[in-house]
Amino acid sequence: MELSPPQTDALTELINIGYGRAAGALSELTGYRVSLEVPRIGMHRIEEIPPLLAEMVRSDVATVTQVFSGPLAGTAMLILDEKAAMVLSRLLSDEKNNPGGFDANGREIISEVGNILLNACLGVFGNLLQVQVTFAMPQLQVSAAGRVLESVSIEREELQYGLMVHTRFQVRASNVTGFLVIVLGITSLDRLLHELDNWEHRQTSP
Amino acid sequence: MTPASSFSRGDSTAEALAGRVQDVAPFGIFTTDGDLVIRSWNQWLESHSGLTAANVVGSPLLDLFPVLRERHLDERYRRALAGEISILSTALHGHLLPLPPVDEDAGVPHMLQSARIAPLDLGDGQTGTVTIIEDVTQRECQAQILLRQQEHDRILSQASEALLRSDRPLDVMAGLFPRLAAALKLDVFLQFQFHPETKELHLHTAAGIAPELRRAMAVVRYGDNLCAQVAEWRRPVIENRLEEKSEPIFRLARQLGLRSYAGFPLLINERLLGTISFGSYERPVIAPDELEFLAQISLSVAVALDRAQREASLETRVAERTASLNETIAQLESFSYTIAHDLRAPIRSLTNFSDILLVEYAAHLPAEAQDMLRRLRRAGQRLDDLTRDLLSYSRLDGKRLKLERIDLDEVVRDIIAVAPALQPPTLDIPAPLGAVTAQRTLLQQCLSNLFDNALKFAAPGTPARILVRAEKNGPWRRIWVEDNGIGIDPAVHRKIFDLFERIPGGLEVEGTGIGLAIVARATQQMGGTYGVESAPGSGSRFWLELPAA
Repeated sequence: MELSPPQTDALTELINIGYGRAAGALSELTGYRVSLEVPRIGMHRIEEIPPLLAEMVRSDVATVTQVFSGPLAGTAMLILDEKAAMVLSRLLSDEKNNPGGFDANGREIISEVGNILLNACLGVFGNLLQVQVTFAMPQLQVSAAGRVLESVSIEREELQYGLMVHTRFQVRASNVTGFLVIVLGITSLDRLLHELDNWEHRQTSP
Repeated sequence: MTPASSFSRGDSTAEALAGRVQDVAPFGIFTTDGDLVIRSWNQWLESHSGLTAANVVGSPLLDLFPVLRERHLDERYRRALAGEISILSTALHGHLLPLPPVDEDAGVPHMLQSARIAPLDLGDGQTGTVTIIEDVTQRECQAQILLRQQEHDRILSQASEALLRSDRPLDVMAGLFPRLAAALKLDVFLQFQFHPETKELHLHTAAGIAPELRRAMAVVRYGDNLCAQVAEWRRPVIENRLEEKSEPIFRLARQLGLRSYAGFPLLINERLLGTISFGSYERPVIAPDELEFLAQISLSVAVALDRAQREASLETRVAERTASLNETIAQLESFSYTIAHDLRAPIRSLTNFSDILLVEYAAHLPAEAQDMLRRLRRAGQRLDDLTRDLLSYSRLDGKRLKLERIDLDEVVRDIIAVAPALQPPTLDIPAPLGAVTAQRTLLQQCLSNLFDNALKFAAPGTPARILVRAEKNGPWRRIWVEDNGIGIDPAVHRKIFDLFERIPGGLEVEGTGIGLAIVARATQQMGGTYGVESAPGSGSRFWLELPAA
């Protein structure tokens, strides 16, 4: 499934709104200027995503997964390669963390960052659709990049799509890149794209 | 009993379960309604906050803990009411509620917490919040200890390396202290060297104390202070909370204002080399893992110090022996001087007066007396030759020679020029000899001695013939001096190069027994080798091998 250029633009803008909120929250929390950028987004069939990720990330990844349900249902994930996760947690925690590994503290920080980011994006989607989205507790796991979506793709009969958002954190003159993946069933995706068109229409109409 | 919060609308089993979970969970759990008024407060929170459920239930959360608003955490509650779940990590927040730490020695003002804030369906379309708090103080303290240990390991391995490479380990340690001080929050560092003969400790290094006290501690004896106690007991002395101690041994420590002290003996096989002590003005207690680290550092210092002292004593012994050898050499040189000057003067008088008698008074002397005088003169001449050769030999004394390129043909030409006996056909040089790296005078002496030998040991009745030739042998050039003389038994080939050894069968020949010894020693001095090929009756072929040039 291909997004049309106007749909891509609209989604990018929408996610940027969510990222803006998340960056503001992270800046306030850490006392450092944190900015979040969306270099590009893409829509893929869910089974296409693991090989794509495995190609871009050679090491293990730290993934914060948050399941959401309601009229718009799916799974949202922040995926960072393990080293990037470690660097980001160090940057955000004033480098107090263990420089040697991705320890309990680092995992917690990434969980919170993922939580803030995913809440912000899904919150924006919820607002757009004017529906209440219910969140499950975020979970952090470390695994091989190709296996990230295993738990998501199993059990679902419905055709699933993943909105893949390349994400760049800028903290204290350092860049850390990762991915935000929002997996939606075809029904939710239809609804999202439909609302997106409406939203765009509302934005462009006087 | 706190009122149970509802997790599922109208389900009494679920309500009972939720209440039970709240009571037995090893977490702090509290719930609020949509106005953030506390609805439940579990037992864990009661015991960890000192606030009973009866006191807090019904109070607005943000009034009870206004600090939540100051830290903008009220926003998380508002979001929870909007359906979002929040994770609060320890590293970014430290804590959610300002609760006292369970372990007061943990060194943190508040219990370190990780928290989750989530929306809670209260039924009838009402949404409240539920908060779950985990005490991670223990985990964080363990992580800190782990970090500290890693830093300690790094310092220890670097310190050990620096200590073992140095011949002044106490100075190295003094240089290392600022890093230790920063890593362990220590302020005071003292190193004493032990003098077993007087049982005194002499201060080597003092950091972090006033100069006046440093002077007062320059020399310390048993019983004076804690450092002396370490030396006396030969074991570590660890004292915490010094401000509470009043015995005389603590007088100096208290005067310094120290709160904690750790002293270690520098011991190797029960031999005390000194003591090393650390102290803090701030910290009431030095942690066990830090003490272990300091003990390891002290052990490294002891090992390094022991090694340095052994090496120093070895160097002293070597220096003493070298001095004694130099003295012997000087005595020998003075002996040679005596031979050269004092012994040769009377010998020359002997030969000179014999000459005068033979020339001036020959007419007055009977033939027999003249013959006696001639013998006397010859004996004198031999004695002079002997002393001269001994002197030459003793001058080959192992001083470094200045070696240079020497043209062999030139050297041989110089020898022949002053030796009528060596004129052709006696001496034959069929081809140019080439050049070697050598010292001119020594090489000249070697060849001249070999030529003399060939002449002296000519076979009776056969005119002496000497063939000189040279050949390249790898990086070397071998010079052969071949004669047609009486030859030498292979059994004594090695011996003839020793001092005062004579060629067997040549007893009737005049010689000092030093000539070949000079050849041997001089060739060795020039970095060369020598040898002979010969058998009785078939002449001798002496050779010298020197670096080709």
